Amino acid sequence: MEEHIGKVWNNFLRKKTDRAFSSKEILFDEKSRALKIFYHLMGGQKAQELHVTDKRLVSRSRTLLEKISGFGSAFYLSWQDERALYLPASIAYFDDKELNQTTYFWLTAMAAVFHTTRGSYVQRNLQASKQLVERYSGFAVFYEKAVRRSIEQRQDMRDLHDKELLFIDSLKLETIDSNCRYSIDDIYPFGLWIYPPIGKTTLLDEEEDEEEPQRAPDSLDKTETLEMKKQSNQMDDKKESDGLLMFLPDSLMSILEQVNVDRSEDDSFDEDALYNAQDLDEITLGRKKANLSARIKMDLDVQNNQSEQYPVGDGHFIDEWDYKKETYLKNYVRIRPIVDINIEEIDLPKRLKKAAKRVQNEFDFMQLDRLKSSNLDSGDDINLYSYLEFKSHQNRSLHPNRFYESFYKKSRDVATLMLADISLSTEAGITQELRIIDVIKDSLMLFCEALQRLDDKFAIYAFSSLKNSNVRFHIIKNFKQPYSSKIRAQIDNIKPGYYTRLGAAIRESSKILKKQPHNNKLLLIISDGKPNDVDRYDGRYGIEDTKKAILEAKKLGITPFCVTVDTEAKEYLPYLFGRGGYTLIRDGKKLPKALPQIYINLTKQ
Amino acid sequence: MNHNYYLQQSNEIELFEAAASMRLPILIKGPTGCGKTRFIESMGERLNLKVYTVVCHDDLSAADLVGRHLIDESGTYWQDGPLSKAVREGGICYLDEIIEARKDTTVVLHSLADYRRVLPIDRTGELIEAHPDFMLVVSYNPGYQNILKGMKPSTKQRFISLSFTYPTPENEQEIVINESGVDESVAKKLIAIATDIRQLQDSDIQEAVSTRLLVYAAKLISRGFDPYQACMHSIVGSLSDDDELLEVLERLIVLHFPKTES
Repeated sequence: MEEHIGKVWNNFLRKKTDRAFSSKEILFDEKSRALKIFYHLMGGQKAQELHVTDKRLVSRSRTLLEKISGFGSAFYLSWQDERALYLPASIAYFDDKELNQTTYFWLTAMAAVFHTTRGSYVQRNLQASKQLVERYSGFAVFYEKAVRRSIEQRQDMRDLHDKELLFIDSLKLETIDSNCRYSIDDIYPFGLWIYPPIGKTTLLDEEEDEEEPQRAPDSLDKTETLEMKKQSNQMDDKKESDGLLMFLPDSLMSILEQVNVDRSEDDSFDEDALYNAQDLDEITLGRKKANLSARIKMDLDVQNNQSEQYPVGDGHFIDEWDYKKETYLKNYVRIRPIVDINIEEIDLPKRLKKAAKRVQNEFDFMQLDRLKSSNLDSGDDINLYSYLEFKSHQNRSLHPNRFYESFYKKSRDVATLMLADISLSTEAGITQELRIIDVIKDSLMLFCEALQRLDDKFAIYAFSSLKNSNVRFHIIKNFKQPYSSKIRAQIDNIKPGYYTRLGAAIRESSKILKKQPHNNKLLLIISDGKPNDVDRYDGRYGIEDTKKAILEAKKLGITPFCVTVDTEAKEYLPYLFGRGGYTLIRDGKKLPKALPQIYINLTKQ
Repeated sequence: MNHNYYLQQSNEIELFEAAASMRLPILIKGPTGCGKTRFIESMGERLNLKVYTVVCHDDLSAADLVGRHLIDESGTYWQDGPLSKAVREGGICYLDEIIEARKDTTVVLHSLADYRRVLPIDRTGELIEAHPDFMLVVSYNPGYQNILKGMKPSTKQRFISLSFTYPTPENEQEIVINESGVDESVAKKLIAIATDIRQLQDSDIQEAVSTRLLVYAAKLISRGFDPYQACMHSIVGSLSDDDELLEVLERLIVLHFPKTES
């Protein structure tokens, strides 16, 4: 009975205080890609990511009902930092779906033009709004409507406080300068505005600061599918050195094998937690990753196959691009070339024989790179023009009498370097039996069979990395080696490594390609995810470095092309490789067959 | 005579005239629909030279350019190709999209494109010396994704090159108004749309909206077609087949021209 009364009371208060029109709700997830394109369209930075924002507490006057019910003190407000733009997970401000949807696009546009504005956050928002309203008549209509509706909704609440009057007053675009006395804290939170980054509300009108943003965007863990984000109280427990490991790291592996060290944090994903989280209004989050394995960042430098992987020399150093400083970090990354030795030569696996045959037939059928040769003594066709020439010749006895033409094969002027990402993530399964790494191996083998047929020059390298000090660059086949059963064995012996420092691998590959005498150079990259590494090589840093490496390659006359099985590739690959510079294979199993086709399309004459 | 309208972007008219007076060959590169062909035609009129246009394709042989023997009732006779014709009579020989032609075909241009200015015709044993008014112009669009297509450096380095991009907003507005007769406010909006869309180039779309497409849209509008529909059909539809991208582009159009039902 008590519970029942509680529910009724709760519903009553909710209706009185909740202003969201949940039936007209628009979800961020449905619109995220469109918003991203729109962000670019409005001139936003192409490496910025789009994320869902956390709830933030706002101190503002509340109606009595709201105070009792506890609603109305937290809002999902949009904000941005140098890495990403954070938008509400859903928008239901208005009783009109179209209007709610346009709100998303409005916010995206606001964020894109925000950097051009100056002054306090209130002023900047007004300037940005004004820009948009003046530039786009459609936004003018929207803004007028949205503001009118917002004010009507405020007035429904009857007793207007001073702050709410201030709110209405502040929305007038004509009076930007006279409004500068307001601070954004004084004004009722407004869904069409961009707010300061969460955690910095006290440092309101400060310009962008130099330091790392206070929260890593990764904290929006993809595995947690909470429909709404919660207010996060962040504990400052991010510093790894603060923790205390009660045992020697050497013994860690053996302990892990027996017991789960930290009982309070289970490695498995807790569905109850998710359920509970939806009911909670506030969750205090540690800023560490959820599971133990991800939390202890330690180089467990155990070679995955000691007896066989043979480093060639101590490696050499190359540069890396730091987008924040806008300079190269000289000799920052160490490349360690590795070859596998003591491996047994193998034949083409049976499962691939049929596919190989078919790909080869396809290549023949397409009559690739066949050139016409006329004026032959004998051939497939009569060349009419040489006959005409004969007829028109003054002294026919001098004519060579060669009237035939034929097609012949000519090796093409292409050098292709295949670069395979063999980071740990390739260990993941596509189906129960098949891992990504298996598909990559099959692809490489089929590719070799196909290119063998064409007589094109190619090399294969694979890479994975462990921080900047150890980028492992596996030599599978260099340009000079002929394709043989030994190469097949090298491919077969590929194992998932560590992380993906893509920029470094591209630079190293470019260096190798540059030395090839051919006029056309193709760098074909097989990848399964974003560039990332254990250190700061993650998110925007990794993307910008990779982008730089790609530009460098293009300058050397190399054509980079990426084939990926990452279904989220559309988020970042267009920026890295350009629209026509990559292909996404949604079904990983199709990669082996798709790869030769892609190659044909790229090099078709 | 029907005059071609052309609005100068930077210094290309002076450069072309200078090159013409010095008899230097010209290479023009630029994205599709930015006015390359129009420029050549207007220069032809300006300099009073006939323009021989050859659109290149991968089956174009040297004989297609130089000429060949043909037969009639009295036997065989030699028929000049467009290149030899221009070389003999004077005029601009314009090879459009030259990278579409096979590299070995374009080698016949070499002797014409340097100081020698001669065209040897090996079939007749003739060596034609170029007419003083002969001028060689080639063009291509560097945006294609094929590593085997490109110009031989030895061909490329015989030309003075002119890079075209889309016109500046002010110029483009003038062009759109002039070509279509649409009023200024509409032209301004069209240019604003194009400016935004061009920011997506290289990341979300392969090649951005061309001036040509803007003129198409403006022409439809000035004929009384609904602006929203005109933009959807002439600008948005031809840029992409990706649904999400189309949705965003539509949204952009709506921001300028209110939506109407078709």
